[in-house]
Amino acid sequence: MDQKIIDIKNVTKVYKIGNIKVNALNGINLEINRGEFLSIMGPSGSGKSTLMNILGCLDTPTSGSYLLEDVNVAGLNDNQLAEIRNIKVGFVFQTFNLLSRTNITGNVELPLIYSKGKSSKSRRDLISKVIDSVGLAEWVRHRPNELSGGQRQRVAIARALVNDPAIILADEPTGNLDSRTGEEIMAIFQSLNRQGKTILFVTHEIDLARHAGRIIYLKDGIVTGEEIIKDPINAQKKLEDMPKLEDKINSIEENALL
Amino acid sequence: MKRILENIKIAFKSLALNKLRSFLTMLGIIIGVGSVVAVMSIGAGAEASITENIQSMGTNVITITPGREQVFTGGGEVRVEAAPGQGRVFISRFGEDEDEEFAEEDDEEIVAGELYLEDVEALKEEANLLDEVIPFLSSMSIFSYMSWSGNVSVTATTEDYLDFAGYELEKGNFFTADDVSNSSNVAILGYNVVSDYFGKTNPIGETVKIDGKNFKVTGMLKSIGYTFGMSPDNSIYIPITMAQNKLYGIDTVNQIVAKVESEEVMDDAIIEAKATLRIQHHILPGESSDFEISSSAQLLEMASTVTDIMIILLSSIAAISLLVGGIGIMNIMFVSVTERTREIGIRKAIGAKNRDVLIQFLTESIVLSLSGGIIGIGLAGLITGVLSAFTNLSSPITASPVIMALSFSTAIGLIFGIFPAMRAARLNPIDSLRHE
Repeated sequence: MDQKIIDIKNVTKVYKIGNIKVNALNGINLEINRGEFLSIMGPSGSGKSTLMNILGCLDTPTSGSYLLEDVNVAGLNDNQLAEIRNIKVGFVFQTFNLLSRTNITGNVELPLIYSKGKSSKSRRDLISKVIDSVGLAEWVRHRPNELSGGQRQRVAIARALVNDPAIILADEPTGNLDSRTGEEIMAIFQSLNRQGKTILFVTHEIDLARHAGRIIYLKDGIVTGEEIIKDPINAQKKLEDMPKLEDKINSIEENALL
Repeated sequence: MKRILENIKIAFKSLALNKLRSFLTMLGIIIGVGSVVAVMSIGAGAEASITENIQSMGTNVITITPGREQVFTGGGEVRVEAAPGQGRVFISRFGEDEDEEFAEEDDEEIVAGELYLEDVEALKEEANLLDEVIPFLSSMSIFSYMSWSGNVSVTATTEDYLDFAGYELEKGNFFTADDVSNSSNVAILGYNVVSDYFGKTNPIGETVKIDGKNFKVTGMLKSIGYTFGMSPDNSIYIPITMAQNKLYGIDTVNQIVAKVESEEVMDDAIIEAKATLRIQHHILPGESSDFEISSSAQLLEMASTVTDIMIILLSSIAAISLLVGGIGIMNIMFVSVTERTREIGIRKAIGAKNRDVLIQFLTESIVLSLSGGIIGIGLAGLITGVLSAFTNLSSPITASPVIMALSFSTAIGLIFGIFPAMRAARLNPIDSLRHE
């Protein structure tokens, strides 16, 4: 199979707001290889979200071509796009976007409901496997609102993994989390990447972006630069160096005693 | 199939989250379906009971009443002229003057004739196709026994009536041909009359008063139930001559009923009876008869027409309730789609096709409406159950209104759910995900 999972050429996106045309993307070229961990960095309004929507097949480009595993997505209709999203893309959102009234199992099962041809046994096995892999086996019966932010994001990752997609798209997945929990999420992504998953990660924090092997810089709808990270930050190591919250509290208490 | 079950499960879950709202939304359908099914069942029950009554009398019965002939015009429409003669018994009790007024009216207007015992005799003699001919004179009269009194329906007739109507005696004997020819003051009491006025006392041999005249009770009937909305159980039977000569002072009868040998000769029998009575009443050819003859088949038809009209009328009122209920469902489904925009966005982002979302919301509205329908059928069962517990009208819920109600409520869920579901299906996933 081709080494390139994603190949977009000269992609533009123009929004019409009333009579005014807004160019969100002005000719983007981007290739992503299988097994890569890529960060996209850019300030607000740089076109990050628009690019993510197009990469995630939630939207189609105004012009240009987009090959996702050699399929030209640019010309597909709504239903075909839905199928691609279901099978080839795993989304992880900043705001988690879980179904609040459905328990963890139900949330993780969601992509499977919309894809055909899996027996209910293999479905159950798959669900418990991915829930295990993000360390939430004890929480399957709980609803999202009973979980912490970090746990919710892990549910979202499990949901993104369940259909074994070609690429995981994470849109500021640590944006709503504290730095330690964010680092834990990054550790999960890095571990998934080591297992061979292709991950695309959008952020506006350089420290987070440096967890990836390559950074693409985006501004005003064009790619302004690219950086290969030879020695990405190892989230697991960073976590070990980070003082745990309880340690911090203990040390504060000790200081107070002194 | 599995997808459908999953959708139904999702629908029940989301309806259960807003229990009160779901119930209130269903209420329109519950009331609509409940009343349609109840009305149809009660109507069918009433029709069946009327039919049964008419048939228990026999489908080979003709009824002759005074008044102008029924004129059948095109299209099966029936024009019935007023029959003033029928009111005569009641009026004659108030005074002779009104009798004369009627006589005058008869002269100038139309031949609104009367029926006499002689007519009965003539029919017995001349009309060979008639087996039994029985005259009636019925009225409401004041009945009293010891210090109790009240209004009771009095049927004056001949000794043949008991056999003709198929009633049975609980105690004593029916009056005899001798009682009729002698105008004996004897009375046969209906079952309820006995229990109301005598309690457990044996009424046989007791003396009662009807409109102030003394009668001796010689028999009582077994309980019979309702016939034509009147109960023989609440009636008293006396010899017709007694009523004519001593009670009301008239020589006419209310109506004559007769059994025809068999149903096949019904038409001939009617022609024969008509000819006999026209001769008896000296009606010239070309003049219209001063009496009407109707067969039980005609009665049956009329009764079923009347109940059908009632059913249609009441059902259409109930159908309006269904329509309002459907609009309620549509309204709540629109609210639900707006509330769950984000959920729709998530589902679409994760791979739900427009069709999947459409089916999800459509299932929800159908489940809502159909649940309402099922509860409505239960409600109808309750209504008819209570009704048959307190009245003699038995109206079991049959399959056809239930099937109709179920398919109607499914259709309502479908029709009124399709627009909200289409709105949900068409939502743009990007915008929906941003929705708060």
